[in-house]
Amino acid sequence: MPPSERLPLEQVLEIVSALEAVVLRSFGPEGGQVLFTRDTGQAMLSRSGTCILSALHLEHPLARVVVESVWKHSRGTGDGSKTFILLLASLLRGISKATSRGPSASHAYGFTEAAKAAAAPYFANKLLELVSSDLDDLIAVNVVPYGFCVSLEDFTTHSGRLLLASFFHTRVSHVHCSYLSELTCEMLNRWKYKSDLPYISFQFLSDNFPALHTPVSGFPVSSSRLIEGQVIHRDFATPCLPSKQQPVKVVVFTDYMQPILLSTGDVLKLGYGGGVTPESSIVHFSAWTERSLESVIAELQSLGVSLLLSAVKQSDAAVALATQAHMSLVECVSEEELSLFVQLSGVTPVSRGCTIQLEHVAALSFCRPILLGGHRYVQVAFCESPKSSKVNPCSLVICGPGEGQTDQYICAIRDAVCMLMTTWEPKHTSETTASRGTLQSDKGTASLDMTPTFQSTANKPYGLKKCVFEPGCVIPAGGTFEFLLSRALPNPSSDTNGLPSVSQLLANALLSVPRQIYSHSPKLFLQAQTRIMSLVQNPSNPFSLGLKESTPGPMVDLGLESVTCKYQLILAVVQCATSVLRVDTVLHTRTALHTQSKKHTIFSRASTEDEAED
Amino acid sequence: MALNGDDEDYEWEPPTEAEMKVIQARRERQDKISRLMGDYLLKGYKMLGDCCDACGTILLQDRQQKNYCVSCQEMDSDIDKDNPALNAQAALSQVRERQLAAQTPEVNDGPSSSSSTQASGSVPQPRPEHCEGAAAGGRTPLPPPAVPPPSAPVPATPLPSARPPAPPQSSVFSPVLQDAEEAVLTKLRWATAQLQSSASLEASIQLCSLISSCANSLRSLKELSQ
Repeated sequence: MPPSERLPLEQVLEIVSALEAVVLRSFGPEGGQVLFTRDTGQAMLSRSGTCILSALHLEHPLARVVVESVWKHSRGTGDGSKTFILLLASLLRGISKATSRGPSASHAYGFTEAAKAAAAPYFANKLLELVSSDLDDLIAVNVVPYGFCVSLEDFTTHSGRLLLASFFHTRVSHVHCSYLSELTCEMLNRWKYKSDLPYISFQFLSDNFPALHTPVSGFPVSSSRLIEGQVIHRDFATPCLPSKQQPVKVVVFTDYMQPILLSTGDVLKLGYGGGVTPESSIVHFSAWTERSLESVIAELQSLGVSLLLSAVKQSDAAVALATQAHMSLVECVSEEELSLFVQLSGVTPVSRGCTIQLEHVAALSFCRPILLGGHRYVQVAFCESPKSSKVNPCSLVICGPGEGQTDQYICAIRDAVCMLMTTWEPKHTSETTASRGTLQSDKGTASLDMTPTFQSTANKPYGLKKCVFEPGCVIPAGGTFEFLLSRALPNPSSDTNGLPSVSQLLANALLSVPRQIYSHSPKLFLQAQTRIMSLVQNPSNPFSLGLKESTPGPMVDLGLESVTCKYQLILAVVQCATSVLRVDTVLHTRTALHTQSKKHTIFSRASTEDEAED
Repeated sequence: MALNGDDEDYEWEPPTEAEMKVIQARRERQDKISRLMGDYLLKGYKMLGDCCDACGTILLQDRQQKNYCVSCQEMDSDIDKDNPALNAQAALSQVRERQLAAQTPEVNDGPSSSSSTQASGSVPQPRPEHCEGAAAGGRTPLPPPAVPPPSAPVPATPLPSARPPAPPQSSVFSPVLQDAEEAVLTKLRWATAQLQSSASLEASIQLCSLISSCANSLRSLKELSQ
């Protein structure tokens, strides 16, 4: 194998076409599901493009680059990973056709290849210029008027449900679409901040989603429900349960209650300064630790605390003393759940060495064990307090017949919340260069008040990003966006070189999306195109595409989709195409340079050990 | 790399219909390769960072660490199907083309054409299955050593009809060899006649190669009989 090689456009196209062939059959509302199985018997069922592409074994660096871009885009918007690949493939095909038509037909072989090699990045750069500068205006003028804005009050009635239903149509089987969209709507309703922007509640939900849901396998999907309060995914460590009387006082410990004697690497110096005396022996030290533990428990008892939440595993003595004092203890609570608890209850966790005061004690309306599936968890419900009076916290229990399906529904709901967050993002300019951390490790909202600032949790991975559309702007689905935008793109008669213009390339690539949606019936594609073009030419009724209750017709069945998500999708696709076409050489190295990617955690909820596939 | 203002730009013409067909066929082939590759990726094959040496397609690797090239091992090659030495269909199409080219300029010729038309008329239109069977199954009693396939089945058909078929299992080779020599000589004569009246360059080249292979077969037959 040569140490380095040029990357011809044909090879790039081959790779992206292969990836397109992988996701094509799952595309659209009529698409199918992919079942992945491992030799261990673990199964993953998915229609999400990101999940499918991340599960493939890809060693080619370019394929990895493309999948990485898809993953980043999906994390940012929650939707559109299959459309990404489709658009990318048709864009590259268009560029390839354009470059092969160039000044290459009648020349020596060497010049042909060089010209082709330079033409493709040229096209890509021109495309990037076009979408960075003109695309938002084009969309705002030519596409947005045919949609409408969904306000938060409308959200839980018809339009929001339709938006969610059309999203779920592309992710789960159509049987469960309406049920899941209703469930999600209800959850969003309960988490609504009455006086604040919907964006904040969506963002809060999205950040805390791992702590706000419980997967339960072995039950039908219709058993999924919302339960009050928060579910802590641990069982009680003490046999006694908290008393039924209200309110239940709780203290959160992030460290050990009893000072630990010695851990690995520690050096304990007894009687420091005065030399080792008979009084300063290890026995005295351990007695001192026990006395301090007893004083802590006494303090807690005096404050009337009956529930202790601990981030670490407490010592046996602590557990025994807590049992003796009729206090319940929950150990090893995960970081996300503790941070969510702290936010919702408004309590300060007790850290090492500080005395327990009133601010460390929170009141809960109840705390009881709950049996979900084969596990017993702890359910806590919060009292009405001035800080948290705006929300009605609830947790989602998602059931599925098997683990694979349950994971599929969880991913779908999580991505739906992300998509809603993108759609309702307020109109402002946020400059950021860092992408949002993973959902599991985001600590940006660990503040007492419920209004996280925009900048701290901005999540756009591509530098400067403008939110240029009104929050809640949606358009009927089924290819409307693509038809309108492809018509709106400027179409000069010919470029100066006789090569096709980049806007023509983009327009042709955009049309491949509705073509694929209606691939089972090309007649429907033509019908949809005709309908939309006639509506465009007949501007007397611009809202006839809108979905008022009185508008019957096939458009109602197609559902809604978000304009912001589509706009970001096109940006992301063009950026990916540019980065892919700018690659000149591939260098083969002897050792692996990449580290374990976080994408592989999608498939290994239970088996985090065996992530190393290549 | 000037992309504009070059004189060569204005020489670009739209591709002809034949070129369009080729482009279309190539695109379909690429689509088919992508689809196959996608299927294999979903089956758990790994996409490697290398390309196949023969055709340049991206290599896949299965669970047993064996490399697999989709286009070489599953699809018919793009160019092999045009090679008459490897593909009976291509050979047949070549024969038909030659006949077509031979018939048109000779329609006004005199007696010199009658023998050639007779010869071509007596040659029955070779059927594909017969041709392939003859080429692959070896039903003909004549060993065709270096003769291209179109000539092998053609003498096979008139010979069994002209004489009772010689027993192929005969341990005595001489009658078989004599028949072979006769057939090759007939073909040689026919090819020479064709060559004299041939108008196309390609046909002439083919006929010359036929003549040389007939000569080779005669030589080997003579060696065998000695």
